[in-house]
Amino acid sequence: MRILVAMSGGVDSSVVAGLLKSQGHDVIGVTMKLWEGPNGEMPETGCCTSADSEDARKVAAKLDIPYYVLDYTASFSENVIDNFVDMYSQGLTPNPCVECNRSVKFDHFLEQANKLNCEKVATGHYAKIVNNNNTFELHKADFLDKDQSYVLHMLDSKKLEKIEFPLGTISKPEVRQIAATLGLKTAFKKDSQDICFVGKKDYRNFVGKRIDVSSKGLIVDKYENEVGTHGGIHAYTIGQRKGVPGGQGEAKYVTKIDVENNKIYIGSKDELETKKFLIEEVSFVNSIDYENLSIQTRYNSIDVPCNIEKVDESTYQIELKNPTLGVAPGQFGVIYQNTKLVGGGRITSKVLEEAYE
Amino acid sequence: MNKNDYMYLDHAATTPMREVAFEAYKKTEMDAYANSSGGHALSRKAKNILEESREFISSCFGAAPNEITFTSGGTEADNWIIKTPFVDEEKKSELITTQIEHEAVLASAEDVKKKGYKVKFISCDEDGITNLEEFKKSINPNTLIASVMYANNETGVIQPIKEMSQSVKNINPKTLFHSDVVQAVATKKIDFHSLGIDSAAISGHKIGGPKGIGVMFLKTGYKIPSLLHGGKQELERRAGTVNVSGVAGLAAALKEQQQNLEKENKLIENERKIFESKIKEEFDVQIVGENVNRLCHISNIQFNNINSETLMVALDLNGMGVSRGSACASGAQKPSHVLKAMNIEDEVINNHLRFSFGWNIEIGDGEKSAEIVKNTIKEII
Repeated sequence: MRILVAMSGGVDSSVVAGLLKSQGHDVIGVTMKLWEGPNGEMPETGCCTSADSEDARKVAAKLDIPYYVLDYTASFSENVIDNFVDMYSQGLTPNPCVECNRSVKFDHFLEQANKLNCEKVATGHYAKIVNNNNTFELHKADFLDKDQSYVLHMLDSKKLEKIEFPLGTISKPEVRQIAATLGLKTAFKKDSQDICFVGKKDYRNFVGKRIDVSSKGLIVDKYENEVGTHGGIHAYTIGQRKGVPGGQGEAKYVTKIDVENNKIYIGSKDELETKKFLIEEVSFVNSIDYENLSIQTRYNSIDVPCNIEKVDESTYQIELKNPTLGVAPGQFGVIYQNTKLVGGGRITSKVLEEAYE
Repeated sequence: MNKNDYMYLDHAATTPMREVAFEAYKKTEMDAYANSSGGHALSRKAKNILEESREFISSCFGAAPNEITFTSGGTEADNWIIKTPFVDEEKKSELITTQIEHEAVLASAEDVKKKGYKVKFISCDEDGITNLEEFKKSINPNTLIASVMYANNETGVIQPIKEMSQSVKNINPKTLFHSDVVQAVATKKIDFHSLGIDSAAISGHKIGGPKGIGVMFLKTGYKIPSLLHGGKQELERRAGTVNVSGVAGLAAALKEQQQNLEKENKLIENERKIFESKIKEEFDVQIVGENVNRLCHISNIQFNNINSETLMVALDLNGMGVSRGSACASGAQKPSHVLKAMNIEDEVINNHLRFSFGWNIEIGDGEKSAEIVKNTIKEII
């Protein structure tokens, strides 16, 4: 069958293209160009540098498959960059990679595949799709250290039917081995961890350049006692320790960001513990079964057993069985039932009473 | 690739080499491979091929042999002419060019600007013709160079070169009037002197010659500094061992082209017209520069409601190679600066595709190409 493969220039998607080609599929490689600087310059690090698309092009040439670079910079800028900046200015902690998958990558990619008569699309994500009587389920990858199902939680059964994640059952060393066997030059390329449009630089500078950095404000403790000043709330996230004034030898953390009053609250580690919170813009892979659920509140964090309760069409309340540290509004709460991904949504800073208003 | 397997309609980017050019290139590489500046028999043989070719090539453009210098291509010639003369320390010299130039000229002009000189980029009308009045008004006693392409590489639209060169001479006779004729020479006979062109850039591979060879024309009486420094080749104007095989290939390609120009152009124009009319019958399209003077081999078409990025990919998968704007570093194709300058709206700027025909066209190619486009569009909508 004809399959459109998203190629980033890294080893994972290179191997996906190679595997599918060796299985006899009609493979088309595409690099989605998502970001460029104001003068059209390519990012220096991350996943869409010109060196990366050059690598993808070389791999495609080696595999003898058609390959194209498609431009989605406008959509990315509107849906991901603006959102990223906006979230920080609201005291939230964005997850641009999830946002990109949610509002840019998969929709455009599936649409493009449809136009080019491709039956499926494939990416190098580590996750598994299971066909359960034509209901398509998303599961964690077999090798949990690489599991990326968290960033794919927005894909529903209907979309999953059109997607392949060939690396869901393969370990990373095995992937590199396959790449080497296929003679792909990306075999031993380092994984990229940076946010593609920020790179190795501090995200605060990136945000600071795009918004009117709010004026200095106060840092206070939970009793409203002033303990310091800050130079703009965009530079703080919940759970942050760096740059936070300590107190009598005890480490202090950002516990709350009050945008309206331009105030940062700090406190001890136990004040960061959360038991109940809301997730909004929730999507589910399939219909839900409320038994035996757990949640990840950050990418690659541990699963915490929880109960969920519907608040309205797209808002759910999460109650953790045990209080947990580092639940940051803006990040995504992704719900699992063992290895099966149930759904997920964005953690909000609203408390329940406000949500009902 | 065989034409039956793949319909190549990207001749404005580059053309397949003519058989005669390839033979001349190969023969020179085999029999006269010596450095043409050397002092022995084989060098003299190479030198002879070089100078005979120079004589023929210059004559094709109505120029004298010592008015042309061989370069690595059009880009080098444009860079050389535009960048090197800006040396006055008071930064009084000015450059005039247009918004629709090829990147080789635009980027060179940006470089001049960065060095502190005044550079004006003249706008164009909605057909892609440079605004003559604005151009005239910009010329002043400090204008060192005015650079206008003969015809645009994305739209094929021909510029009023003679009027422009004359107005330059009327206002400031010292101004060097440069023209990037790289795209135009594919299907136009050009005489530099009668058009008032003082310097020009030519590329070999747009007319069925080898890649990596070009010509910098500079009228007798003008002198510009060297761009490449080193050995004293090419009358001490350009360092580097001369690409004699490339020159021989270019001369052979030009010879065949000049002999057949009328016949080739007639065929190209016919097939292009058939192609355009078949497309117009079927789809809601606009053809850029349809009612103005344009090169016969370029058809830039706006397909309403069809994203040309997807269309280009789908055409490739169906066996046809075309082009959109200019490719950027990543290989993604950006909305064209030429179409932007023509005030084409944002909503449709991504609906344009350039189909460009070439010397190896055959009867029936226009219809065959239109058929591929029709079927492909039906697949993607």
